[in-house]
Amino acid sequence: MSSKDEILANIRQHIRQTYDLPGIRPRGICYPDKIAQFIEVSRSVGGEAILLQEGEDINQRIRTLYPEARTIASNLPGISVQTLNPDEVETPAQLNGTDLGIVRGEIGVAENGCVWIPQNVKEKALYFIPEYLLILLDKTKIVNNMHEAYAQLQTCAYDFGVFLSGPSKTADIEQALVVGAHGAKGLRVILV
Amino acid sequence: MSSQHAKAARRFLDNNEQAQWHNRTLWMVREKRDRLAMQLPEWEELRNLASQIKMHSLSHLDYYLSRFAARAEANGALVHWAKDADEHNAIVLNILNEHKVKKLVKSKSMLTEECHLNPFLEARGIEVVESDLGERILQLMQAAPSHIVMPAIHLKRQEVGKLFEEKLHTEKDNSDPGYLTHAARLHLRNEFLTADAAMTGANFGVAETGEVVVCTNEGNADMGTSFPPLHIVSMGIEKVIPDHQALSVYTRLLARSATGQPATTYTSHYRKPRPGSGMHIVLVDNGRSRTLGNEEHLQTLKCIRCGACMNTCPVYRRSGGYAYTYFIPGPIGINLGMLRSPDRYSGNVAACSLCYSCNLVCPVRIDLADQIYRWRQQLDSLGKADRVKKIVSAGMNYLFMRPSVYNQGLRLAPSVNHLPRFMIYNPLNAWGIGREFPVFAKESFTRMWEKGKVKKPQNKDAYEQ
Ligand code: SF4
Repeated sequence: MSSKDEILANIRQHIRQTYDLPGIRPRGICYPDKIAQFIEVSRSVGGEAILLQEGEDINQRIRTLYPEARTIASNLPGISVQTLNPDEVETPAQLNGTDLGIVRGEIGVAENGCVWIPQNVKEKALYFIPEYLLILLDKTKIVNNMHEAYAQLQTCAYDFGVFLSGPSKTADIEQALVVGAHGAKGLRVILV
Repeated sequence: MSSQHAKAARRFLDNNEQAQWHNRTLWMVREKRDRLAMQLPEWEELRNLASQIKMHSLSHLDYYLSRFAARAEANGALVHWAKDADEHNAIVLNILNEHKVKKLVKSKSMLTEECHLNPFLEARGIEVVESDLGERILQLMQAAPSHIVMPAIHLKRQEVGKLFEEKLHTEKDNSDPGYLTHAARLHLRNEFLTADAAMTGANFGVAETGEVVVCTNEGNADMGTSFPPLHIVSMGIEKVIPDHQALSVYTRLLARSATGQPATTYTSHYRKPRPGSGMHIVLVDNGRSRTLGNEEHLQTLKCIRCGACMNTCPVYRRSGGYAYTYFIPGPIGINLGMLRSPDRYSGNVAACSLCYSCNLVCPVRIDLADQIYRWRQQLDSLGKADRVKKIVSAGMNYLFMRPSVYNQGLRLAPSVNHLPRFMIYNPLNAWGIGREFPVFAKESFTRMWEKGKVKKPQNKDAYEQ
C-alpha cells in the first residue's frame, strides 16, 4: 500500500463522528465610507493610501513622492517614469537594486488595508524586492472585508496572488517594530 | 514535588528583570489582540465558524485531502505523502538531491521543527538557511524557538547585537533593532539570491483550488520562492480547508489573534509553480490521523498556530518557552506534547493554572484547558502522577469527605499564624517558596454563620469591593 493510501485509510478508520459545514455564510463588518476606512487602516499598518485628485497627473505625482528613485520598474501603460520594464528581465535576480516598483492591484479591502495582486508581471519578485512599492488601485474596487474580497476571487484566474497590507516588517528583536525586513521598506497605494 | 516545568521556570525567573519584561510584553500583545477583536462586532461569530469549519474539514479529511492533492497536481505541483517524520525528511532529501541542491532557504515552519528536518539535512551536506529574522537569529545561536510566532521573544537586543557582531560583522556594541534588522536584510538578501531551493510551510491548503496559502509579515517566504527553480511546501494534513469562503474566515482571525494586526503583511497564494521551476507539496501525517480518533483531543487539530494561547497564558508569560519540554510551548504545546508522547512530555501538564484564558482567546475555540485537565486526571493511570501530590490529594480527599474533621482542622488553622517561620517556609513546602502564607482568619465562615455574625450586604456594590 502506498503512503497515500495508508494515510487516507488511517483517516477513514479514525474518524468517529462527522460534522456539517455551518449553514450560515460568514458575515463581515461594513463601513459607511470604504475609501476613508481604507486610507485610515493603511496608515495603521505602516503604509499610506492617497487619493489622486481630479485632473492630477500621475507621473508628476510619482516624481514628487519619490524624488530619489533612480531605478523604477513598471509594466503599466501610462506610467512614463519607469526606467525598467520588468517583463524584459531574464532572471528575477536582475530586479535586485530596484528602487521603486509600480504595480496594479485589483481589489482593496477596507477592514485591513489589504490589496489583492494576482500576478501580472513576469516575475513575482517585483512585488517583494524593490526598496519601495507603489500600488495603483481603482478606488471603486475597495470592498468591505475579506469575505467580499474572496468572493470576487472566484472569477479571477491567477497562478500566484498576494494580499499585501503595508510594508514588510518584523518585531523579532525585543518586539521593537522595524519596517523593511526583507520586502518593501515603504508601501503606498494611489487610489485612482 | 516541583515539576520539571517548575524547575525550569525557576531558572527563567532568576533573571527577574528579563522575566518581568517577557510577561509584560506578551501581555501587551494580548491587549493588542483584544483591541482588534473588539473592532469587529462579528468576532465571536467568526470564532464559532472557524471552529465549525475545521470540525467539518477534519471529519471529512480524506475527501478534502484527496481533492486538494488532485487539484494541486492539476495545477502542476507534485504531491508527496509522508506517514511520519522520517518519511517526510527522506522525501525532502530525495527532491533536493534530484535537483542537486546545496543551499536551501527556509521560511518558518513548525512542522519541519517537529520532523527535525534541519539537522537531518545538515548532516547530509545541505546548507539550510532560516529566513525569518527570529528563526535566523536562533539558528545562528544554535538554539530553538521559544514561541511559535515570536521565536526569539526570550532574547535581549544586546544578545542579538553580540551574535551579529560575531557572525555578520556588525558594528561593535550596536544593538539598535533597526540597525540589526537592516544588517540581517542585507545578509539574507544574498542568501535568497544564491539559494538553490526554497522551502515554506503552509498556513492553509485550499481543497477547491489546490493552492497553498502562506502568511508572513517579513515577506521572507515570498523572497525565498521568487528566485530558485524549486519550491518545496511542507504541510500537515490538518491544514486543508474546503474553499475560499473558509479561507476568508481564517485570514480575518489569524493576524488579529497572533499579533493584533488586522492582517499579515503578506498573505500569499501559491497555485501554480513559477514558470520554469518546480513545486512539490509534502503532506505529512506523523500521528495526526490517529488523533482524529481521539475524541478528547481531536480539537487540537483545529489549531492555526497563532500563538494567542501562549501570549495570554499566565504560566507561559512567567516561565518562558524553554520551561516546557516539548518544542511547542504554552497551552497548545502541552496538549500536542502529550499526544506525541505522554511518557516524555507529561511534566508540562503542571504548567497550567486552569484559568481558562486560552480557551477564551483561541480563534478556533479549542478546549485547551479542559484537555489539560483531562490529561491530569489520566496521569495516575499513565504512571506519571507526582507521588507527593498524590499523598496530599488523598489527604484532601479524606478531609473534604468528612466535614467534621475538616471543620475541626479549620478551627485549629489560625494557630499557623503563630508558628515560627522555619516551620512554614522549609523545603518540604514547595508552596512556601516565593509565596507568603496567608494569615488565617480567627474564625471560619461556617463558625461565623453559626453564630449569626454573617450579615447580608446592604447593596450590590458591596460584592464588588
Ligand atoms: S491553540 Fe488556538 S490560540 Fe493556541 S496557537 Fe492554536 S489556534 Fe492559536
